[in-house]
Amino acid sequence: MAERPEDLNLPNAVITRIIKEALPDGVNISKEARSAISRAASVFVLYATSCANNFAMKGKRKTLNAGDVLSAMEEMEFQRFMVPLKESLEVYRREQKGKKEARKDKDKKADSEEQDKSREEDNDDDDERMEEEEQNDEEEVDN
Amino acid sequence: MAAAAAVPGPGSGSGPAEAAAGPGGEEAAGAGPQCPGPARLARLPLARVKALVKADPDVTLASQEAVFVLARATELFVETIAKDAYVYAQQGKRKTLQRKDLDNAIEAIDEFAFLEGTLD
Repeated sequence: MAERPEDLNLPNAVITRIIKEALPDGVNISKEARSAISRAASVFVLYATSCANNFAMKGKRKTLNAGDVLSAMEEMEFQRFMVPLKESLEVYRREQKGKKEARKDKDKKADSEEQDKSREEDNDDDDERMEEEEQNDEEEVDN
Repeated sequence: MAAAAAVPGPGSGSGPAEAAAGPGGEEAAGAGPQCPGPARLARLPLARVKALVKADPDVTLASQEAVFVLARATELFVETIAKDAYVYAQQGKRKTLQRKDLDNAIEAIDEFAFLEGTLD
């Protein structure tokens, strides 16, 4: 698979759609430009992650949280992202809460699953598996 | 509208269906009708974003929320850089965004300095 972090790509179709919606109708994008933007997006994630991790470490935490990412945005001078990101986070939290409650009802019978659910990181993997058909074995890899 | 279904509504009966369709909804939200405005669910698949996060050897764990915010931030970034690059295409009286427009934007705009030398 990917050898270097920068080779981990985000799906072309989604990137293209985002670009097209950002630009006026009738504007096109060359293949080279699109793939460069896709690569830039990967670099952005890597850089933002590193930045966010600094905040987590400062807070003596081992888990990156949403606040760390928001702080990273400010640090990277993308303050204009703050408001839309906070709003999206609100929506996401509400939705996650709804999902959790739905699952709790389903799982009332299976007690063992209750224990797993209390660990957010496990939940994370569960969700990922539901989201993506592709199996990311890397999820289990320890760094 | 998968996107609308994924956004909180009456929780009861549709719960389990949403749990299954929710993540699908995140992808479908890209394929189907979109909710306008910034407060939307991510279109980029969180698993891929998470793979990038895990590529950092200094990162131990990232919460689900952190990955989500990163995904949304990346989408905003893509929008921003596309628009900024387009200014240069317009200057060149072109309706097709080209690689050089991107290079120009990266050189000119401070926030994109971190990209220098990374796209080749």
